[in-house]
Amino acid sequence: MKAFEYATAFSTASARDLLADDGAYIAGGNDLLGRLKEYLDSPPRLVNIKAIPGLDSIQHGDDFCTIGSLVTVARLETDPRIRSLFPGLQQAAAEIASPQIRNVATVGGNLAQHSRCWYYRQRDIQCLKKNGDLCYARNSDNRYHSLFSGNDCISPVVSSLGTTFAALDATAVVLSQGRELRWSMAEFYADAWKMHLAHNSLKPGDLILRVEIPLSRPRSAYLQASDKHVFDWALVSCAAAADFVDGKLTSPRVALGSISPVPHQMDKANQFLEGKPLDSDTVAHAADLLLAGAKPLEHNAYKVPMAHALICRTLLKLKG
Amino acid sequence: MRAILVKAEPAPSFVVKEQDGLDPDSPQVWEGSANASTPRTRENGNVDQAFGQCAAVIEGFYTTPVQIHNPMETHGNTVSWTGEGITAWSSTQGISSVRDGLAGALKMDQSKVRVITDFMGGGFGAKFGAGVEGVLAARLSKEAGAPVRLMLTRFDQALAVGNRPSSFQKIKMGALADGTLHAFEMENYGTAGIGAGGDAGGGGGGANIPAPYLYKVDNARVTQRSVAVNAGSARAFRAPGNPPASFGMESAMDDLAVKLGMDPLDFRLKNDPSPIRRKELRLGADKIGWKQKYRPPGTCPGIVKTGLGCAGAAWPAGGGSPFTQGEAQINPDGSIELRLGVQDIGTGTKTVIAVVAAEILGLTPEQITVRVGDTQYPAGPGSGGSTTCASVSPTVNDVCNQALDQLQKLSGMADARGQNWFDACKKLGISPLTVHGRWQKGLSSSHACGVQFAEVAVDTETGLVTVQKVVAVHDCGLIIDQLTLASQINGGVIMGMGYALYEERVMDDLSGVMLNPNFETYKLPGIADVPDIEVVLVNMPERGVIGIGEPSTVPTAGAIANAVANAIGVRVPSLPITPAKVLAALGKVPPSIKS
Ligand SMILES: Cc1cc2nc3c(=O)[nH]c(=O)nc-3n(C[C@H](O)[C@H](O)[C@H](O)COP(=O)(O)OP(=O)(O)OC[C@H]3O[C@@H](n4cnc5c(N)ncnc54)[C@H](O)[C@@H]3O)c2cc1C
Ligand code: SF4
Repeated sequence: MKAFEYATAFSTASARDLLADDGAYIAGGNDLLGRLKEYLDSPPRLVNIKAIPGLDSIQHGDDFCTIGSLVTVARLETDPRIRSLFPGLQQAAAEIASPQIRNVATVGGNLAQHSRCWYYRQRDIQCLKKNGDLCYARNSDNRYHSLFSGNDCISPVVSSLGTTFAALDATAVVLSQGRELRWSMAEFYADAWKMHLAHNSLKPGDLILRVEIPLSRPRSAYLQASDKHVFDWALVSCAAAADFVDGKLTSPRVALGSISPVPHQMDKANQFLEGKPLDSDTVAHAADLLLAGAKPLEHNAYKVPMAHALICRTLLKLKG
Repeated sequence: MRAILVKAEPAPSFVVKEQDGLDPDSPQVWEGSANASTPRTRENGNVDQAFGQCAAVIEGFYTTPVQIHNPMETHGNTVSWTGEGITAWSSTQGISSVRDGLAGALKMDQSKVRVITDFMGGGFGAKFGAGVEGVLAARLSKEAGAPVRLMLTRFDQALAVGNRPSSFQKIKMGALADGTLHAFEMENYGTAGIGAGGDAGGGGGGANIPAPYLYKVDNARVTQRSVAVNAGSARAFRAPGNPPASFGMESAMDDLAVKLGMDPLDFRLKNDPSPIRRKELRLGADKIGWKQKYRPPGTCPGIVKTGLGCAGAAWPAGGGSPFTQGEAQINPDGSIELRLGVQDIGTGTKTVIAVVAAEILGLTPEQITVRVGDTQYPAGPGSGGSTTCASVSPTVNDVCNQALDQLQKLSGMADARGQNWFDACKKLGISPLTVHGRWQKGLSSSHACGVQFAEVAVDTETGLVTVQKVVAVHDCGLIIDQLTLASQINGGVIMGMGYALYEERVMDDLSGVMLNPNFETYKLPGIADVPDIEVVLVNMPERGVIGIGEPSTVPTAGAIANAVANAIGVRVPSLPITPAKVLAALGKVPPSIKS
């Protein structure tokens, strides 16, 4: 990697100042340092945000649980209250990478991590997302890529937390030019859907402060399918959340990861599930609705049946 | 390294996939010669006629990918070049070959080059010579007037220092009604990358594989060729040629057994000419519960289906090197040091040396100080071909027997072993006794066998394969140390499992680059993937010492692949057996949409 300056910020304001035009925030560093080592990015300055007070706490309110952007993935995995309020979030956290990575990986960094497309991460390739003029994956080995995309880049969102937050209808609070923006997960990743250069909707200098999760969905679940049993990226991931009263779903939401640049959601599927019991026909139909319009490419069509199975299983898991 | 400016032009055209290289019009890797070598054919008996006599014939196309060695420690050295000469601390399987390589490349006397390998983090066949990186480190050290440490990055390691060639095996095989194998035909091609493989001392890194593997077939025709592609060159890799050969042949064996309506175990017992392996097949079948658990392919109920499979190994090497030497220094205080110019590549060579010495001298292994990994000690072979154990054991036997003899003479004690040891050593006065010895005939042999059984569970909706159990039955002559032996077999099984399910070098034919030069997308088994491994040892003291490192990784992939086929009722003929391929074999994958 190239030499860089390193500065530690003690407030959100100083973080923004220290960043200037061309620095990069560093939290756990799992994603950023990999990019620096591969010369994908070479910011002249890293701004350590981990000393900013208040961003590493979990707060429980009457209607929301608020998770600071510096809370680690390991904490989401082990905190007993998270486990009981949002079992799906705990399950998602527990599947991420390895214990070592989870110990330092943060919620903010996990949401804001960049594409894992193997062309993008290959130092010798200059693809569309790196200002080149070709999406290699679209024309070549796309086994890990999206079934849906709104632009020429088919690199999928890989944040397991992002996918689970989408199902939980969480809001990310982002400090942008002195103002707090409130984004749904769809909004957080909207730019990645539209524009091949974007990994998410953050603009330079934008700082994720926290994520607010409504308490209205006491049931949640997360499942992923990978090539290996642990320490492997999801080929497809699925999160679902709802309330389940008298054997019927209320406010159900399903989101899928690794098949679209955004956590993949379909209003139609959520609407269909409203008020329905959890049986195999219902979940299978919801899966059909979620996957309608999928555009499998040469090497990733296996994701369609895999996603279908995961949707059914994740929904059925909501029964408890 | 980034300070070095390399001026190079990307090749205007290239070929990275084996299938493409077969095309005579594919861009030539080596100017003026076709990428695909001229096919070479061997035939025994009359194959065409024999197929006509068969009661059942199967045809399959079994493929294995290029596998990267990926030792935990990458290739590299620390080299110090001073007025006294060169000292290199190397990550190597062959301290002598590195010394000779450095001396040759740098025009130095061999006596002025010393190579030290105290410990090393794996090589698997890819670490014999000094390598470009070793010579470079030495040159830089000379220029800098200081020691230089140069370890390859994971990226370099994946690209430039070896791999196991791929194989694309088209097999047609037939048996008579009584289950006797009768006709075999194979056309195979594979790639060793831009070169034919083979680093100094490493042996066969070529793309040819032994066939028909293990079993006796009277009528056999085998055609093989290698295909050059613009990708990293092969080197010897743990049991070169054998894991792909075992996978192809053993897959065909199960497919043919199914077609014949025979139990695959009985089919093997009928056709395997090796009495050792037949015994091992019976032992392993008992341990895994074959009789109770085996069911016809695809008949396991439920979404997650279990299955059983087995496969065998043959390893022609494993014998000792007659050139191995060693010495013992016995000190008046009773301490003893064994010195051999071999290297312990993580396999437990030092333990083996201590165990043999201790037994002869009536001491405990802890009392023996073992020194290896230094070219200043009496020379020994490189650690390749599973030869180290069978090289050092007879050598240590000779050294220790001679030393004991001399100690008894010098001390005047009839038996200096065990309890008498310290008294005898005290009589040496002030000067230690140093004794030199060499490898002796008759205490080792070669040709280990082995069979493995696998039990798997396959999720037919997500395609994920879970290996639940592997029973590994192996022989290696006289067992010297059970713990290090079992450790070799565990490691062999885990590596074989990676080959079966996860590992694959992915070359991109659009850009020509390797897409997975890291442990993120070049997938390796982790602890949670590793099954319960039961090691069953067949001790055959009458055969002397034989190495085990290589045969233990040969049959795993075939056994797992057969277990998967048994579970789901269809074959995934291509390694690695990924969820995507399992779903495809089950006919669950929809067609892609052309954009
Ligand atoms: C082998 C492997 C497997 C993995 N598997 C998974 C998986 O299955 N699922 C999954 O979700 N992840 C997975 N990960 C990714 C890992 O979880 C992320 O890299 C990690 O969560 C990033 O968090 P961090 O704090 O280390 O981020 P950093 O590397 O510090 O930051 C990542 C990016 O976010 C920016 N950033 C950080 N914090 C903020 C903030 N508060 N506001 C604005 N921008 C910010 C940084 O500038 C940087 O661009 C895996 C990683 C590896 C290496
Ligand atoms: S999918 Fe996106 S990141 Fe990957 S090669 Fe295409 S443009 Fe680049």
